Amino acid sequence: MRYKILISFIAPFFIIFCLSLPAYSQQNENNSSTPDSAKLTLAHAVMCEVIQEFKPWNQAVVFSITIGKVSCFTSFDSVPEKTYIYHNWYCRDSLSKQMKLFLQPPSWATFSSIQFREADKGFWRVEVTDSEGNIFHVLRFSITE
Amino acid sequence: MNELLLSNIRWQDVVDVTLNSYILFRLYVLFRGTTTLRVVVVIAFLWFFQRIAAYLGLIITSWAVQGVTAVAAIIIIVIFRNEIRSVLQAKNLKALLWGFPHGTIKTPVEIVVESVYEMARKRTGALIVFPAKEDLKELVQNGIAWRGRISKEMIMSIFWPDNPVHDGAAIIQGDQITDVGVILPLSNRKDIPFYYGTRHRAATGLAEITDALVIVVSEERGNVVVAKGSSIRVINRKEELTTILQEQVGVATKGADQTRNEKIKTGVAAVVSVLFIVGVWFSFPRGLESMITLEIPIEYMNRDPKTEILDTSVNVVNLNIGGSGTIIKTIRPDQVNVKLDLNKALIGRNTYTITKENIKLPPGAFLKGVNPSVVEVTLDVPITKELPVQVDWTGKLPESLILSEVKLYPEKLLIEGGSYMLKDISTIYTEKVLLDNISESGKISVKLALDPALLKIALGSKDRISIEYVVKKRLQ
Repeated sequence: MRYKILISFIAPFFIIFCLSLPAYSQQNENNSSTPDSAKLTLAHAVMCEVIQEFKPWNQAVVFSITIGKVSCFTSFDSVPEKTYIYHNWYCRDSLSKQMKLFLQPPSWATFSSIQFREADKGFWRVEVTDSEGNIFHVLRFSITE
Repeated sequence: MNELLLSNIRWQDVVDVTLNSYILFRLYVLFRGTTTLRVVVVIAFLWFFQRIAAYLGLIITSWAVQGVTAVAAIIIIVIFRNEIRSVLQAKNLKALLWGFPHGTIKTPVEIVVESVYEMARKRTGALIVFPAKEDLKELVQNGIAWRGRISKEMIMSIFWPDNPVHDGAAIIQGDQITDVGVILPLSNRKDIPFYYGTRHRAATGLAEITDALVIVVSEERGNVVVAKGSSIRVINRKEELTTILQEQVGVATKGADQTRNEKIKTGVAAVVSVLFIVGVWFSFPRGLESMITLEIPIEYMNRDPKTEILDTSVNVVNLNIGGSGTIIKTIRPDQVNVKLDLNKALIGRNTYTITKENIKLPPGAFLKGVNPSVVEVTLDVPITKELPVQVDWTGKLPESLILSEVKLYPEKLLIEGGSYMLKDISTIYTEKVLLDNISESGKISVKLALDPALLKIALGSKDRISIEYVVKKRLQ
């Protein structure tokens, strides 16, 4: 009984904490060092339904609204220094959400997600940019019925 | 109000008033002194009365007066046809249009008087007719055309007892004896002295039904009798006969005052004619003011040639135009135009309010309203922009499948459009592609759906997009 009370007390804080996190970062398993002179390089960027074990699952370009959530997964194989990137989510050419994601040398993978509402059906794109706004890549996808 | 009224006067109105005023004035000049003119004045009064009655809403009075006026107009033509004909026939075109009666040929009254009293002295019977305004042709018979210039000898010879035409009447007009041997209608009056014979009865008969003056020279008594209207009297003095004849033929000695009076009368008649027609002009078309709504396209003028009109809130406006019924009926859409000067327009959205200065109306018509009165015009500079293409997927894939990858050929296209319009556009989309029919990887070709429609694919770019898609099974 005491545990139930404790859980019910902690659970809201935990949920708020999770939602407030703009992104979840995870150090890549590959810890090999990279020279400082190397450039920040995007290795992989995909849209997916879910992230499991730090990997994108069900990569797609069309997502059903019934899924309720979609993620943008990006991995950098050359991170010369501690820095950050942005995932800019656009719905019909209008900026919907901007996520600031931190990267750690020597390589790093990170992702951001959004929850869908019924009104979010349509054209989407995610611009992956560096800290200065230079675009690495643009991922386009659609949200349908 | 006055300014509005004056600004609405068309050149046609000026011509209208001038022309009709002159016609009225000419009618006065030609018919003055006749019964016809007096009746016309009465009809004009009736017409005005009818207009006032109509204005006051007196329906029956208006209707009745209108009927009387119409009937009177017909009656005047029937009853006074001879008088009208004599006015119109006796004069040539020049006399009808701008001649004045002052210029008519004068009858040599002295010669006539001398001849008459000479015949009286010699007891030669004579019957001489001096017509006035009225035409006598339908009232007299058996006349023989003579057309001889008046002289004492000629008159004497016509009525010489051995002359075959001496028993009839001679008609004198101007300086000519126009007809001889004319049979006049006889009077049936009972009050004529018993000793008057057929010649006197004929003189009385014509005088009492026309405005002609008839001189009778008695063969038996040797006196001179003048019949005019219903009067018949003996004239013993030459001077008296001269005066009577001068009055009849219109050459009575006119003093300076009389001439001036006539000029004043003519001037007054001219002014009254103008005022009358102006009054009619004001009462007639103004009283029937009506309105029309026309849908007129807007013309955009003086645009910077480097720019183009990207969009307009409206291309046509409804104009409520007022004016007299006559003008409104004849108004044509091509006589009306709405012009907006884009000389000072800037790139982007410009708002204009349509005012009277932007609208051209035919004279006499005036603007009552514009709908809509505000127009938005978006100007832009045409540019070409390379834009990525995105597929407009619609519908739903089967639950077990996912569309994992899409490749487009080409991925980007050159699009033409206004810089203002393209500023916020970063992607162009294909037409809708239905997912429901997709079960495996494949390739399709679709068109672009350009929005806004003002966008164009640049010359040389493809207008179709090839889509190569990969379908995979969903990982659970």
